[in-house]
Amino acid sequence: MTQFLEVIFGGIAQAAAYSIIAVGLSLVYGTARTLNFAHGALYTTGAYISWILTVGYLGLPLWLAVLVLIPILFGIGVAIETLMLRPLRGGKNWRVTAMMVTLGLAFVLDNANLILFGAVAKPMPAFIEGTVSIFGVTVSAYRVAVLIIALIIVALLEVFLNRTRFGWAVRAVAQDIQGARQVGIDVNRIFAFTFGLSVVLTGMAGLLLSPIFLISPQGGWEPFLKAFVIVVLGGLGSTRGAIAAAFFLGMVEAMVVYQLGASWTMPVWLVTLLLVLMIRPQGLLGKGQSEAAG
Amino acid sequence: MTQSDATMTAQAGGRRLLAGTSAPLYWAAVGVLALAGMLITDSYVQHVLILCFLWCMVAAAWDLTLGYAGIFNYAQIALFAAGAYATAMLTLKFGVPPVAAIIAATAITAVLGLAIALPCLRLQGEYVALFTFAIHLAMPPLIQLAKGLGTGGTMGLMGVPPIKFFGLTFGPLNKIGWYYLALTAAAISVYVIYYVVLRSRTGRAFVALRDSANFARSLGINEFKYKLLAFVLSALVTGFAGALYAHYTSVVTPKILGNEFILLAIVMLAIGGIGRFPGAVLGAFVVTILNELLRDAGTYRLLILGILVVLTLLLLPQGLASIWERVSRRKHKARTKLKE
Repeated sequence: MTQFLEVIFGGIAQAAAYSIIAVGLSLVYGTARTLNFAHGALYTTGAYISWILTVGYLGLPLWLAVLVLIPILFGIGVAIETLMLRPLRGGKNWRVTAMMVTLGLAFVLDNANLILFGAVAKPMPAFIEGTVSIFGVTVSAYRVAVLIIALIIVALLEVFLNRTRFGWAVRAVAQDIQGARQVGIDVNRIFAFTFGLSVVLTGMAGLLLSPIFLISPQGGWEPFLKAFVIVVLGGLGSTRGAIAAAFFLGMVEAMVVYQLGASWTMPVWLVTLLLVLMIRPQGLLGKGQSEAAG
Repeated sequence: MTQSDATMTAQAGGRRLLAGTSAPLYWAAVGVLALAGMLITDSYVQHVLILCFLWCMVAAAWDLTLGYAGIFNYAQIALFAAGAYATAMLTLKFGVPPVAAIIAATAITAVLGLAIALPCLRLQGEYVALFTFAIHLAMPPLIQLAKGLGTGGTMGLMGVPPIKFFGLTFGPLNKIGWYYLALTAAAISVYVIYYVVLRSRTGRAFVALRDSANFARSLGINEFKYKLLAFVLSALVTGFAGALYAHYTSVVTPKILGNEFILLAIVMLAIGGIGRFPGAVLGAFVVTILNELLRDAGTYRLLILGILVVLTLLLLPQGLASIWERVSRRKHKARTKLKE
């Protein structure tokens, strides 16, 4: 029983990190109506950059590494949005082209990472060692830290979106691009900002999860898919929904892995995705998204 | 896109979107390739062209769903792999003769396409993209899990037997035989997709649905029926290509589902242009040959291909086909000016 509880707790901690990736994906999809296929590759890239900053080359302390990492990730995101997505927007068939560009970018990043860092997964030491005992269940202190940090990040994001003027502007764009433009919001600036923020979020998740999963060039696809399932189940643009969905799915995954083994992870997420989409075929946007944005 | 635009596309769609090449010109091009087959003696060149023909089928079938029917289908390589695995397992595990196995594999892939399309068509836009891509991502672990059924796991299946009919054996060394076999298969598949299906009422319905789904629906076009048809037909051709590929290379491994093949297919559509015949088919030739030329680049090859996708989509969003159109539009403009 205690072993089972340990597995469940591990699942929850991972899921909390997944929810950060999911919120990042949903921010971009919600505002710019772009499904960013490179989100997973950016997660891996974030992990590699933090590896360079810490144990790999520079040996920076964690707090300094995070301070350096955030502007780098934000810059990458803004660059992708302004250089690669903005020129396509509004063109013929742009939703297909935008998806293909991000898919192309994902392969560019994956292969660049493969060339730069090699196919062998890079280990990342846990930033906190030791174990903690909660209600008689022993869990690694690192997983507890991941859970807490992830919750703090999501809470900060919630405050930003609901309490600041800029956050309102982001939400306004998410609800109605035309309307937002009419009240004088610079829509392109919001797109660039949310993309930057989304890369920061996924990159930070990369940093948080790398001590658990190791860093490998193609390791981003699984978190990407999981993040999407979370977004669909939790509701687009709802950070609280994402947290709830992530916890639920994280527990399902932990139980499946516990019962059947790790090789069932992807098939189980696929089935979950299928079930979620069958229950809510429009996703959670409700209205005819393809018509409205196309 | 406004409604009058959509009407125009719906009416002129078949003609305008396919204006690139007329049927006699198409068969002339096939004839030239057939003649070229007699002149080419270098087995490597033959090999590259055989790959081109097989990729033409994959690219054309993908163009049908992604480009013309507007279904964000990213399970294309998964379906290709399904065709390859089906024929390999049928011949190796059940001893089915290759020709029967290819027919069965094509049918199996079409049914699989149906099974993927049914849930997909209830979904909208990007959700389709994600669901189909999830199928692609889930396939390697599924192949591993189904090792007991004879999928060969990570090692794959070796020694897929050569095709035999009319006393001819199409082994891996019979390059000239394969050249004509692949050319025939590709020529017929591409013809059926672009000239038969897309020029019919069905094809116009695809384009109308893609460009203005609500308006097309209001005209009484059954969206579900047409999209299902597009998906199944595309899966059928893809499965056929996959099955041929398995017999040609005689090896089927999960590497098919790796980065390379899906990237190649994306570059083909990106370079050629989506939904503009002969874009995808030309893209298949250009990219297959380019991929061979890049063999020496080693690990950099996939990086270069990826950069190529991004750059073509940014600089030439409609692909090579758009250059053609731009030139013909300029000619047209010049002509109307002269008339004035």
